[in-house]
Amino acid sequence: MSARLADGVGTERAHHFETVAQQRYAATLGIWAWLITELLLFAALFLVALIVRIQHPEATQEAARHLKFWIGAVNTVVLIVSSLTMSMAIEFSRLGWQRAMVRAMLATAALGSLFLVLKGYEYYADYTEHMMPFLGSRPYELAASPASRLFVNLYYVATLLHGLHLLTGISLLLGMTWMASKAGFLSRHQNWIEIYGLYWHFIDLIWIMAFPILYVVNR
Amino acid sequence: MRNPLATLSDDDRALLKARLRKPVLSFLALMGLLAVNVTLGATLPFEQVWTLELVVVAAMALVVLLVSMEVLHEPPLVKLFSGLGFFWVAIMVGMTLTDYLGR
Repeated sequence: MSARLADGVGTERAHHFETVAQQRYAATLGIWAWLITELLLFAALFLVALIVRIQHPEATQEAARHLKFWIGAVNTVVLIVSSLTMSMAIEFSRLGWQRAMVRAMLATAALGSLFLVLKGYEYYADYTEHMMPFLGSRPYELAASPASRLFVNLYYVATLLHGLHLLTGISLLLGMTWMASKAGFLSRHQNWIEIYGLYWHFIDLIWIMAFPILYVVNR
Repeated sequence: MRNPLATLSDDDRALLKARLRKPVLSFLALMGLLAVNVTLGATLPFEQVWTLELVVVAAMALVVLLVSMEVLHEPPLVKLFSGLGFFWVAIMVGMTLTDYLGR
């Protein structure tokens, strides 16, 4: 929550709140309560990845060598840049610079989409390399190492779940950008940008943890 | 509403610089830490390098939480909520790994 709002920028009080400050506080607390549940969901997946590594080190390393390390690294850069553009959108919203805010939000959505395109290419490369053990119709490259299936399947579950969150985030962001481009938005709903920004940074945070845990430490 | 990006005055420029200082610094810190992790992952300079990689990840997570998500500037209850999430994760990871590593 920021107190550094320009004149004419703010939040319209809903009738069930006593003050605007209380409303902003409740919204921030609410999104954090939800983000904690999301954190626990992803943390459990990352913990299973570590356990698979402890139980089957050779099979996990063999499977991890097939992951596209450099695409994962570039995708991390893409999401870190998108976090910067989201932070810029928040600051522009606080300043009341609506057009700049809308452009920063569009840049954020574009970077999120670029991440998904690169991820899609990575999945396609995995498909051509027969690294999808859950496809019964195709042979599996590491069939001689049954334990590697555990890690590869977990990789798909974790990255697809993250991708789903990102896709949802992009859809919400585009919808909010459309609303935020209308006159008067920042005088009534500026805190929407801040609350949404927390979700976007959280998606970035999850990938910042996923990349090393899945791609880097198992090399 | 103002849309001054096309014609920034000196005051606007100073305001913009002050407001974007933290986001840009956190961006540079994250890119630097990522560069460290990618270099470690690509070169594997020693056997237990994964411990250092996880320390770098923890530093990146702290930067996102404290600076990008502005937890440092939140009221105490929000700070407690954000901290609780990681505390629960620490309990889950700690107790599970104690079991697996202690067998």
